[in-house]
Amino acid sequence: MDAIRVESETLSGALREERDVREAYAAHAGELYGFAVRSLGDSGLAEEAVQETFLRAWRAGERFDPQIGSLRTWLFAILRNVVIDLGRARAARPRVAERGIEPSVEPIDEALLGWQMEEAMRRIGEQHRRVLVETYYRGRPYAEVAKDLGVPEGTVKSRVYYGLRALRVALEEIGYDG
Amino acid sequence: MTAERCREWRESLGAQALGQLPAAERVALEAHLEGCPDCRAELESLQSVARLMPLADPGRFAEAPSPPPLLGERIAATIAAEQRTQDRRRQRRRWGFGLAWSGAAAALATAAVLAVFVLGDSGGSGGAPQRQVAFHSLPAGMKIDATLEPRSYGTQIEVYVSGVRSGTLCRVFLRDSHGVRLSAGSFRYRWDADSHAVLSSALDLSRTQAVGIRVGGRTFVAPVA
Repeated sequence: MDAIRVESETLSGALREERDVREAYAAHAGELYGFAVRSLGDSGLAEEAVQETFLRAWRAGERFDPQIGSLRTWLFAILRNVVIDLGRARAARPRVAERGIEPSVEPIDEALLGWQMEEAMRRIGEQHRRVLVETYYRGRPYAEVAKDLGVPEGTVKSRVYYGLRALRVALEEIGYDG
Repeated sequence: MTAERCREWRESLGAQALGQLPAAERVALEAHLEGCPDCRAELESLQSVARLMPLADPGRFAEAPSPPPLLGERIAATIAAEQRTQDRRRQRRRWGFGLAWSGAAAALATAAVLAVFVLGDSGGSGGAPQRQVAFHSLPAGMKIDATLEPRSYGTQIEVYVSGVRSGTLCRVFLRDSHGVRLSAGSFRYRWDADSHAVLSSALDLSRTQAVGIRVGGRTFVAPVA
């Protein structure tokens, strides 16, 4: 039988090889999965979404252009479409949310922004997150929060300011460019 | 110095961005912002962060769920399988080019075989009965048919194969009454063309007990009734 040799091709884009996918998975799967669970409210569907995202990314590997955006941004753009597709498919077969995880009902882009802010909140320090949660999300007066924390009111104000700055940095890290 | 003056105001910008600054402080800050483009730029930047805050759910600030441990392996395995399929397709395309090269030689060989048939027929043992043979125990999707016909030089074997990979080498043999195999030649199966091969053997049909075909690495044999 004739010997057949498949020449290795010159690879220039990302995710052309299985090992590229493994690296990308190690770097980004956690965030992608987190967003998929948040959007779909179902860990099984979220797994499916992440798998489909990496498969589509690998199949379209040559279309990725690092000049245009980061690999992370590209993967999220693919996941966004996958979540929309899965959401449509699920609309035809409603399911019960599992273990209290509710699928988000807001439009996909708002869900993505919301998830980015939540991820940014997880990345900043506890002190900053705490004052932002207490003053903004719980609407508590600065004086009350200061008393709870045993710090001067000026410190609460200062932590709100530096907390917002830290969120800005975290959002930049995540790839938010709004 | 602007920077010195700003230091006093900067820490109010967070509360201002979130709409939490008491009225009196807000009026004073706004007066400062009028004359300080740096602080205005900083406030706008913080406001762009603050605008996202209503979209977040503080109930989700705790640790995000992690993907199941085997998901990565499953994805890698799926991609590896798809890669293999792609490689096989690529190989087939290369096979196609290779066969095109040998096309001229194949055409000559076919012409030679046809010439033999024509001469054989004119030698005349026409009218003798054909033998259809049946191949059993074939893999799903695969089909082999053979028709044997006596000729003055021996036996003509027509073989029809389908359901195997294009380019697969098929070797045909006859087995005589003593159990000896005699080669009847070979051909390559190709999609959409030449699935029907006509071969010849010196063995008389009357002494042929079985016809066999080796397709790729597997051999199939059918008895000649």
